[in-house]
Amino acid sequence: MSSFADRRLAPAKNALEEVGDMMILTGKTVVSAVRPPFPYGGEFISQFLFAVRLCWFPLLISTVAVSYGAAGIQAINFLNIFGAPDRLGGFFVLAAIREFAPFVTAIVLAGVAGTAITADLGARKIREELDALQVLGVDPVKNLVVPRFLALMIVTGLFDVYAVIFGVFGGVLATTTSGLELGPFWATFLTNASVIDLWGSFVKCTLFGAIIAIVCCYKGMTASGGAEGVGRAVNSAVVITFIAVFSFNYVFTQTLLATNPEIQVIR
Amino acid sequence: MATPSDSWTAVPRDWFASFGEIVKFLGKVLLQIIDLRVFKYSGEVLRQAGLLIMSSALVIWVLVFVVGLQCGIEGAYFSRAVGAPANAGTFSALCNLRELVPYAFGWMMAAKIGTGIVAELGSMRISDEIDALEVMGINSITFLCATKLLASWLTLPFLYIIAIGAGFFASYLAVVEQIGEVSSGGYFLLFWMFQNPPDMFFSLAKAMVMATVIVLVGCYYGYNASGGPVGVGTATAKSMVLNLVMVHLIGMLGTQVFWGGNARAPIGG
Repeated sequence: MSSFADRRLAPAKNALEEVGDMMILTGKTVVSAVRPPFPYGGEFISQFLFAVRLCWFPLLISTVAVSYGAAGIQAINFLNIFGAPDRLGGFFVLAAIREFAPFVTAIVLAGVAGTAITADLGARKIREELDALQVLGVDPVKNLVVPRFLALMIVTGLFDVYAVIFGVFGGVLATTTSGLELGPFWATFLTNASVIDLWGSFVKCTLFGAIIAIVCCYKGMTASGGAEGVGRAVNSAVVITFIAVFSFNYVFTQTLLATNPEIQVIR
Repeated sequence: MATPSDSWTAVPRDWFASFGEIVKFLGKVLLQIIDLRVFKYSGEVLRQAGLLIMSSALVIWVLVFVVGLQCGIEGAYFSRAVGAPANAGTFSALCNLRELVPYAFGWMMAAKIGTGIVAELGSMRISDEIDALEVMGINSITFLCATKLLASWLTLPFLYIIAIGAGFFASYLAVVEQIGEVSSGGYFLLFWMFQNPPDMFFSLAKAMVMATVIVLVGCYYGYNASGGPVGVGTATAKSMVLNLVMVHLIGMLGTQVFWGGNARAPIGG
């Protein structure tokens, strides 16, 4: 009887254990990031450049596409109902800055840089390089996870700016192709843009970067089972990252909106 | 470093270089389905369909559910901001059905099914199992790729329609139960007014094009993986990049084609 219950509950138990392990890894990473010595400078720079090189192009296409289609065209439809398509600028503050820029950045960074990190660390794990490092007295968390964690956090935060710029460009494109004037777009955009929205967007995006880095490093470092193991690790890393990012996004946006009523007023 | 990151233009150049290869591969797989050769392996098709449902359905619905909640709260706050709080239902109807459910579906498809296929086929390739299939006289593209594509065509429309349901349910929860912006009846009145069966069909078409591309891209990268266990990981990561961009482009083109010229919103416009 107990074995039956064990078998039924095993997946849930494993999932909880994994979440706990990721929390422990987060704690270890933060502690070893701030405690001297700091041997991870070079690795940090190479990871930073690596992520920027890999992501700039997919992110460019993705942000323009999402904000032109999803936000631009559909929002013009929605606003036409009220006869107020000039309010598109105000909507783009909500759409591009608050929502689409952070989560398209997170999706692309997770899919591009996160998967590459998992593949890289997973390959090292199954070639037993990580064990070799530990034998040599080199701490893999300090030398491999911390630089990736910091680099992804900063890259994701900075790419948010990039995504906002190209997201707004998508809005401009949608305005132009719908035959509307650009003047009202910029006017409502600039009167509605608030500092809280911008900060919220940056903070959210930086925390997305932290989630991506921890999940992807954890999955890479625990890859097992030969050739298929690395692929499986990448697969589950990206699935877990997506779910985690979206759940976090929901809680964060809800808290931001509920605690800052002034950003909800369209001016 | 295990990934091709030597230069800034590595990603776009890589795509241009392999674009022809990918299209050729896609043609080959589609041909196997069109001339019905794939039905020799209908048992394998059904097995793949079962695997798809058992392993991927739940995560897809979970992601769509979370995205639906997001649509709900943004809809409630935005329609309050334009001074028409009753229109939260309008916003979540447009947001869910037309945009975010297809996107969330595409993202999760790419993450779960696309990379899963690369991992599976890639490890078969590097352990020479695909060559073994060829030696035994089985056409490996038919047996491995065409069956997967057919299985996804069989199951994904149904998974997708349930996913739309999950998104709608989540938006309802967010708007009516959590925020309490409008009454249940008022929500549903506008919610159903702003969508019709063609909208659902277009949304489904968008998602199915995404699904087809994702399965084929996954098959391409897995089938052509090389370079040992590291190569499988790298191929998995690369397939994800291409898939994400394709999902976004298909989403944009779909919106432009289906709703760009005709908003199909019953008031004004």
